[in-house]
Amino acid sequence: MTKEKTIQITIDNKTIDARPNQTILQAAREYQIYIPSLCAMEHLSSYGACRLCVVEVDGLRGFPTSCTTPVEEGMVIRTDTAEVKGLRQEVLKLLLSEHPASCLFCTEQDECKQYMGTIRKVGATTGCRYCPNDHRCELQQIAENIGLTETSYPVYYRNFPVEKYDPFYDRDYNLCILCGRCVRVCNNVRLNGTLSFKQRGRVTTIGPAFDRSHIDAGCEFCGACVTACPTGALSVKVSKWYGRPEGQVATTCNYCSAGCRLILQTTKTDVIDALPDYDSAVEHGIICVKGRFGITEYVHSPLRYGTPKEMTPAGYNDISWEEAIAKAAGKLSGLKPDDCLIVVSPQLLTEDLFVAQQFIRQVTGSEEVASSFIFDLDGDAASFINLALASEPFETIEKAQGILAVGFDSTYGYSPIGVKAKQAAQAGASLMSLNSFESNLDLLSKIAFVVNSSRWADVLDLTMSRMSKGKAEKRFADLVEMWGSDLNKTCETFSCSSHNVLIVGPGIIDSPDRGKILRSIERMKNEYSWKVVVAHQYTNLAGMFAMGACPGIKPGEMIKEASADKAVVLKAELIHIDLRKKRKLIYLIGDASFDSLPECEFLIYQNALPPQCSRQPDLILPVSLFTEASGTVISAEGRVLQVKEAVAPYMDSKPDWWILKSIAEKMGKGKMKFNDVSSIQGEIKKIIKGFPAVKKRIEFKEIEVKGNVKTHGKGKPAAWKSSYRGIPLGEVVSGIKVIELKGG
Amino acid sequence: MPEVIEVIFEKYQRKPDQLIPILQNVQREFGYITPESVKHISRYLRISENQIFGVSSFYAQFRFTAPGRHSVKACLGTACHVRGGATLLEMLERELGISCGETTPDRRFDLERVACLGCCALSPVVQIDADIYSRMTVNKLSELLKQYE
Ligand code: SF4
Ligand code: SF4
Ligand code: FES
Repeated sequence: MTKEKTIQITIDNKTIDARPNQTILQAAREYQIYIPSLCAMEHLSSYGACRLCVVEVDGLRGFPTSCTTPVEEGMVIRTDTAEVKGLRQEVLKLLLSEHPASCLFCTEQDECKQYMGTIRKVGATTGCRYCPNDHRCELQQIAENIGLTETSYPVYYRNFPVEKYDPFYDRDYNLCILCGRCVRVCNNVRLNGTLSFKQRGRVTTIGPAFDRSHIDAGCEFCGACVTACPTGALSVKVSKWYGRPEGQVATTCNYCSAGCRLILQTTKTDVIDALPDYDSAVEHGIICVKGRFGITEYVHSPLRYGTPKEMTPAGYNDISWEEAIAKAAGKLSGLKPDDCLIVVSPQLLTEDLFVAQQFIRQVTGSEEVASSFIFDLDGDAASFINLALASEPFETIEKAQGILAVGFDSTYGYSPIGVKAKQAAQAGASLMSLNSFESNLDLLSKIAFVVNSSRWADVLDLTMSRMSKGKAEKRFADLVEMWGSDLNKTCETFSCSSHNVLIVGPGIIDSPDRGKILRSIERMKNEYSWKVVVAHQYTNLAGMFAMGACPGIKPGEMIKEASADKAVVLKAELIHIDLRKKRKLIYLIGDASFDSLPECEFLIYQNALPPQCSRQPDLILPVSLFTEASGTVISAEGRVLQVKEAVAPYMDSKPDWWILKSIAEKMGKGKMKFNDVSSIQGEIKKIIKGFPAVKKRIEFKEIEVKGNVKTHGKGKPAAWKSSYRGIPLGEVVSGIKVIELKGG
Repeated sequence: MPEVIEVIFEKYQRKPDQLIPILQNVQREFGYITPESVKHISRYLRISENQIFGVSSFYAQFRFTAPGRHSVKACLGTACHVRGGATLLEMLERELGISCGETTPDRRFDLERVACLGCCALSPVVQIDADIYSRMTVNKLSELLKQYE
């Protein structure tokens, strides 16, 4: 790294080194010199709206705002003269002349901090709670730091109705100080463009065009504005009255394969909020609605199982773990390998997956490690896996000159990928989107193909033919008529560019023509050197293959050590899972794909929430969810990411690995003597060097299927909906239901 | 309408800085900025509808409701203000049952406030269509409105 030139400046008689592109405020912050500021925020462009950060600079007239003034060699700056302080107080008073101040100027303030007393007759001491942000408010903090204890101006209450009609968060613009952080994060960081300042002067408000609701205005409910807001104007519905969180834990989202980092906000027992981490190397804080708002309601659903249950003629009976393990062991022993079907969810942690495959192989003696992704993808599983496991890292999109997104939309998911594509398009890349509905990439696309997925393969083929200047075949006639000239131009840039990226979205999994589409994608990759990035909801698919939690693949066998490593050969019979044959026992480990399952005599259901089906499980084993467990996931990019326990397991629930090893122990089979997660990780270390602290991205070998794959013939997969452990998020998280209904 | 908009677009480059001239042209053509035209401009300039609305609502020159048959402008410039312009505006809002920037349901009048009409000596003034009425009072204005159908 070349050493950056530094500039010497003096702040409050202290000489410090600053970098040439810094503002005074940034330089001061690095040296822990406090300058109050409200509208400035890391990762956002300077704005200069609040005027609180004023300082004195020798040689500059007046009081420049430190957040907009770049440092210069030899600058002499004073941040705390009496004049500056007085000015700030005055600025803050003016700012508060439009902000209800009952929480700021109160004679009880000091006692309140300690005792949270209230004059109301209530059972708990909660403080007054005028505002959801009370006690965790930046504005409150600033007022304290500036030392303002009263104001001389009357407070003008703007009397805007509180906006509660959108899902996930409420908006009370009476509390808004027009700092513009939400507007900037929405437009410049998320590139979404839902929020803007409307009108001007005294009547300025914030929101979408024509007083539309956020949902109608294209809001993605990523919650970036809520995180950015320094006041209580924007507040999360489910957690707004919790007050200040008691702790926070950085973990990895388990809802899709992107692997975003989440900073879970916790109380002693609850996860109350999930915040983005703008310093995360994976998604840079660009998380989606599922991670931001989909966790609290899921993990604290009133439907959660707290104890093992057994079906009796009179309904479910709570039983102890001992009884439950004995029951499961009893039912499993004496079965022939193909009498039972064990289904493992790709959304388990890597450690759980490792134990699950050991369980299947050592306890039931079967190779049939079934999983919902095999049911969904049927005969196309192998080609999808090859594509997904070789997915390029997201940053490949950054420098792309041409981007084609197929079956991909990042409105309500896959934000890190979607925003990267938008950034690239704004920087001049040619973006083409191909979907069966209008996607959120369309606005920035050179061409937006909205066609039924049965035509996607045609569009891809046509693109390739145009790239190599081939003659248009007849089957493309209507496409050419609709998009011909634009397509020619775009394909021109594609063929001139050496860096084209194909983004493959979950839409292709739903398509009945997925086989054809996958073959076209393979051709683009192999013959036209497109780099492929795959977005899918099978969170730990990579972990599954690394751990050998799939039929015919041994633990570690798929991990590529040298680039010359050969493909793993799989016999077609192995990946054919017979879904018609009646089984004696089905054991669902974190999965709930009931629609695909054959009939069975006994059904063990290891999950956290009740399934959506008429077949009731015979034995229910309650598990702790990813907010209550530790381990790792391996993301679509091949990164090993840490999952950390944020709160204790719900009631009597247990981690998946514990249940599996206990059953095996009870049956006296297998070698699964694990006492904790780190003992499992010790085993995995033998396959993956340095696990779990792996820095390098894990690369995978290809799968080569020998023979013809029989389809299991259970019809097409259920329409894609975001789900976790087989339970659609929309069933548990009220807001997700609302946005999914709207998304149609 | 899409065709008319397309014709307008042909005159302007597909660049965000063309937003204001396009909006002005659209308003000349349709009398106001319709939600539908905002949608088309959004697609053309690749800026979100919300951002377009944000920018255009900043400027008093753009309106988002269909204009009435007669347009009433109350002056609230300094001179008019001190001589009762605000009272006139308040009366107009009450009489017409609308606030600034809106149009009466029967499309007879639309109402706007302006900062200065440039004839401060005659304040307070109200403009209806092209005519300037000087030294206005609440009573005179009430009579005056009756002359417009
Ligand atoms: S809503 Fe919050 S973030 Fe947005 S301008 Fe108002 S105070 Fe700032
Ligand atoms: S994009 Fe995926 S990993 Fe990231 S927050 Fe959303 S669901 Fe979680
Ligand atoms: S932080 Fe500098 S003006 Fe607001």
